[in-house]
Amino acid sequence: METLTGPGLIRDDEVFLRMNLAERLQHILLIVSFTLLVLTGLPLMFYELRLFKSIFSFENAFALRGLLHRAAAVILIVDIVWHFGYTVLTRRGRENFRELLPGWKDGRDAVALFGYNVGLSRWLYRKGILRTFFDRRPFWKFERPPEYGRYNFIEKLEYLSVAWGSLVMIVSGFFMWNVELSLRIFPLWVHDIFVIAHGYEAMLAFLAIIIWHMYNVHLNPEVFPMSHVWLNGRITGHELRTLHPLEYRKILASRQKALEPQAAAAVAGDEQVR
Amino acid sequence: MRSRSALLGLILTAAVAAGAVMPVRAGQSDDDCLTCHGDPGLKSDQGRPLHIDGAGFGASIHGQAGMACVDCHADLKKFEDFPHAAKLKPVDCAACHEKAFAALSGSVHGRPKAGPDPVTVQCKDCHGTHDIRPADDALSHTAAINIPDTCLGCHLERVQTKRGEGFAARYKESDHYRALAKAGLSLSATCLSCHGGHEVRPVDDPRSKVSRRNIIETCGACHSGIERDYLSGVHGKDYVKGIQDVPVCTDCHSEHDIRSPEDLDSEVYATRVAAVCTRCHDDERLARQYGLVTSRLKTFSASYHGTASKFGEVKVANCSSCHGHHAIRPSSDPLSSINPANLAATCGTCHPGAGENFSKGKIHVVSEKTENRWAYTVKIVYIVVIAGLISVFLAFIIADLYRRARVRWKP
Repeated sequence: METLTGPGLIRDDEVFLRMNLAERLQHILLIVSFTLLVLTGLPLMFYELRLFKSIFSFENAFALRGLLHRAAAVILIVDIVWHFGYTVLTRRGRENFRELLPGWKDGRDAVALFGYNVGLSRWLYRKGILRTFFDRRPFWKFERPPEYGRYNFIEKLEYLSVAWGSLVMIVSGFFMWNVELSLRIFPLWVHDIFVIAHGYEAMLAFLAIIIWHMYNVHLNPEVFPMSHVWLNGRITGHELRTLHPLEYRKILASRQKALEPQAAAAVAGDEQVR
Repeated sequence: MRSRSALLGLILTAAVAAGAVMPVRAGQSDDDCLTCHGDPGLKSDQGRPLHIDGAGFGASIHGQAGMACVDCHADLKKFEDFPHAAKLKPVDCAACHEKAFAALSGSVHGRPKAGPDPVTVQCKDCHGTHDIRPADDALSHTAAINIPDTCLGCHLERVQTKRGEGFAARYKESDHYRALAKAGLSLSATCLSCHGGHEVRPVDDPRSKVSRRNIIETCGACHSGIERDYLSGVHGKDYVKGIQDVPVCTDCHSEHDIRSPEDLDSEVYATRVAAVCTRCHDDERLARQYGLVTSRLKTFSASYHGTASKFGEVKVANCSSCHGHHAIRPSSDPLSSINPANLAATCGTCHPGAGENFSKGKIHVVSEKTENRWAYTVKIVYIVVIAGLISVFLAFIIADLYRRARVRWKP
């Protein structure tokens, strides 16, 4: 493969920008606001725990908690607005968004990755079980891990979760912040839904981050102890080739294309010299 | 008061009689007594001090009335030979104070206590002996300001009630005592105001001022507005019917250490109200018997009000913020603060302008499933989604680790 694509077009130690400064700052703002929101909000879901009660034992602790929670909410809202503007107004933002849109391939990728990791199909195939089925539908053999573009299904799921979660949390949170306004507009049972949704969406987000995101960017042996993309925004040619092969090939193709006229010109030049 | 004027009459009569036969007055004069008993060092063979403060007696109510030693120590009247017998007859206060003595005899103090150490409280135990002063004299043992210490003289340690050590002394932590001792408000409730004086009876005696039957009236003697409110509410109406389980003043406010609701340690401090109310309202037996709705604490705690309250926030609503306190009425009562027609006003005290929407929905319901359907549906959907998603995440993580482990340990 290396020889086919031409060595040197993308070196393994070449540095690519995966997250630019604006994206990294948006991510950091998200970390800050999310952490603060979880720390100041989650105790309300677990009011029976002694731990939380002892943390909030000092004077005005609860009022301070609320103040911090709303301050963090404002940070989150600012961050979301910034990201929204960035996505709409900048070319890179729009391109990222297009890359993040989910498709059928993402579902297939998820199934394929799971099947590949478990390896049951390959084992069955080797044992000669269901061979005709596997021969007719080679996808279900899961012989190779799926190949991803700029964003794999995991990253797309996380992005869309943040988008959905922020929408739910900001809307419900806004009306919880302004109870009087909420109840001027909605009957009490609608406000109750805001309260329930806010709490459970928070649980969902917290668990998803703690389990899914933390595994994928920290504990996964491939990146352990941590992927540095969120800090320096950089990804190497090697990482691009192994983790995002479709993106890798896209860049490669565009570089080859860019080279073609030059190469043609070079050939023409050669001929002229001759 | 009446006994005092009777006493004065008696003394005057005695004085007139004595004046008539002045030169041959029977017995000793006070000066005779003080010849020996004026000596501060005078002690009995057992070492008991026998000194009498003559000036102190002179200032006492009996001294002021001109009574002589022998008027009380009557058996000394006939003594000629001194020093007199070591053992005198006890002073008989009842000779003059008949009514007080009768009341005392019927009280818990007048009855010997069962057990190995029978105690009968005598007049002098509370009133003192030679230094007895009227109750409106600040130096009196029975002046309002001194009553707590007089009673605690025994009830601090030596004489315990069923409620155990320190129960009586907790009065000193109350706002009643604070008003009395710190503000000098002699009208404030002392032991006497609630338990009565000579006629003090144990709490389980129906005639006791502090029995469940009488406590409302006892507290109402000062807090009459609250008594009126209480009797108009659901608790008071049942109380009048004679239902024993209904809460009376002391069930919520505690007995001796009654504090202002603003006091952090008060039983009815904002963050502790829920615990007090649910002591009965979440009690299975009472709920069965009186048809109460239970899970009040659980459903309240799960609300923002309840959660915030658990974390010590006092500005949020507690039971009494919505239900009222002394004049609590059921929601079916048009006068109730939680009658649907009044909810806008009740909730509006904290949430101005929110209006009628408050009555469109239910609050701390037992069954969310039937009474708060939409929120319940959302909750169930979330629980299913969370459980599903987290299971999928874990499955992916385990599969990923499994593949890595297999690659690593492959021979």
